[in-house]
Amino acid sequence: MITVHNLHKAFGDVHALRGVSFDAPDGLITGLLGPNGAGKTTTLRVLYTLLTPDEGEATVDGFNVLTRPLEVQRRIGALPDARGIYPRLTARENIRYYGRLHGLENAVLETRIDALIRLLDMQEIADRRTDGFSTGERLKVAIARAMVHDPPNVLLDEPTNGLDVMSTRAVRDVIRRLRDEGKSVLFSSHIMQEVAALCDHIVIIAKGRVVGAGSPAELRRTTGKEDLEDAFVSVIGTEEGLER
Amino acid sequence: MKPIAVVFTKELIDNLRDRRSVISTFGYALLGPGMILLMIVVLGSMFREATERPLELPIAGREYAPALVHFLEQNNAVLVDAPGDPHDAVRQGDVDVVLIIPKDFGEDFSAGRPAPVQIVGDSSRTSAMQNVRRAQNLVRQYSQQIGALRLLARGISPTIITAVSVEEVDVSTPQSQAFVFLNMLPYFLVMAVFLGGAAVIIDTTAGERERNSLEPLLISPIERWKLVVGKLLASLPFSMITVWISLGAFALVFNVFPIERYMGMQLSVDGGALVSIFLICLPMVLLAGALQMIIATFTRTFKEAQSYVNWLPLIPALPGMVLAFLPVKATIGAMLIPTYGQQMLINQLIRGELVNPLHVVVSTVATLVSSALLVIIAIRLYSREDILFGRK
Repeated sequence: MITVHNLHKAFGDVHALRGVSFDAPDGLITGLLGPNGAGKTTTLRVLYTLLTPDEGEATVDGFNVLTRPLEVQRRIGALPDARGIYPRLTARENIRYYGRLHGLENAVLETRIDALIRLLDMQEIADRRTDGFSTGERLKVAIARAMVHDPPNVLLDEPTNGLDVMSTRAVRDVIRRLRDEGKSVLFSSHIMQEVAALCDHIVIIAKGRVVGAGSPAELRRTTGKEDLEDAFVSVIGTEEGLER
Repeated sequence: MKPIAVVFTKELIDNLRDRRSVISTFGYALLGPGMILLMIVVLGSMFREATERPLELPIAGREYAPALVHFLEQNNAVLVDAPGDPHDAVRQGDVDVVLIIPKDFGEDFSAGRPAPVQIVGDSSRTSAMQNVRRAQNLVRQYSQQIGALRLLARGISPTIITAVSVEEVDVSTPQSQAFVFLNMLPYFLVMAVFLGGAAVIIDTTAGERERNSLEPLLISPIERWKLVVGKLLASLPFSMITVWISLGAFALVFNVFPIERYMGMQLSVDGGALVSIFLICLPMVLLAGALQMIIATFTRTFKEAQSYVNWLPLIPALPGMVLAFLPVKATIGAMLIPTYGQQMLINQLIRGELVNPLHVVVSTVATLVSSALLVIIAIRLYSREDILFGRK
């Protein structure tokens, strides 16, 4: 369960967040939709505990990101905007490093790694050094490493960015599976179709503010638009920075 | 402690697999010993040649002093005709030295008056001064020889004109004469200290940011100070090995290479001194790592960090260079300056001098305290939001 209340954050003169509030309950996929530069990544970075908000608060399973950062980090699995992996380590070693950072060891850790490798269908590349991996393969490693401690909350920043159709589909399957396991899944995207296809709950942000929120049905009803993507555009007021 | 060990182990393995940077780092360690070896061979050969080579001596007015000319020729001087304007030729550097014998030399000589000659040299040209001195010595020898003969002819013992007999006692051991080379060793060791772990530090901080792997790492539940300490510790084996390679190569140069053939004496550095030198280097290893860590936290890319870090060894090297040519006495005050004190101590150890234990303690503690402060600064920098982006 993730809650965000009235977040403000400025970088110099740039006001990235001007009062962002929403909840991402357990067992639901919550989509953060907004054009590029709307404040999605900044919001997520506050939730990762990497940025300190100027105002407002955010909690993960009741732990405040400011006062209990380690508790928050133990309860989240994150696929941030920057998702580099170590090219001189194998896929398995990359995942194992994060498992160890989470305090997992030996049999428990290895069993978990094997399960993730099967889940993400990466048996063939698991013991190769990641140098030379395709974007999709690297993304799988990054997802596996984020999920290694079986976190109850999952935060994904534009998870399908740069992926081909097959990989995108695989990632969506993983996201649904995580939801079905009862996790709170929060993911950001500027692709309307993706949000429409996946999300149980949608939070629309533009220029650092939440401009609309609700289930797909609620959004259609409040905007009076039959098509969800038209509903998004009517809420934001422009199509700029979005993708169909 | 566990998370620190996890970070340490990962960075160690990861960086060991970076073969190219490992090899180039260890190769750098051989640079110092290689340069010193080169200097011994080149300077040694030059020195030997210079003393054995006949002295080529331009002379003007040789016809006025046939006896002196004969004496010079007997003493390994090859006389050639002096250029038209001797002063100008020397000033231009066409010749090192010119001996001018005036017309009335013979007259004064026969009359028993001091017969004048001129030796024209340029004292600002160090390389020429050796030949000037050789010419001066030859003429002086001749003068003394004739003077002694004249006294004998008058029934006076030549020793009467030597009121004070100066006996020069040179207390330098064969090793101390070759100190010019040894004095550079501390400088090269400090270079090894600063270069050894640099690649690892840069890779694990600026490199991590450039590869976009820093953000996910910072999201892991590990305190920042543990991250910094783990990464810093991972660099230490690399700098230590680099120092050892450097020391080993120096030991080879001094103990195995036949330096005697070039310098006329053998140097030696024993195993005990090597171990002591290594131990004295250890606090500097920490200092270098912490300094590089600070730089790596605000640079955006591997390359940018590298361009700054490459300048670092020059800062501690400056006092070391001064030390090489201008020996300063070891004092407590000097020991308080990190890297400076160590260079003095290393110098004393190679000379086989007694090292004051208090100096070792003061220098070690001072450097460790400075390192601790730098580590704290590095941790502070790592804890800032800006660590994600690098300084603008």
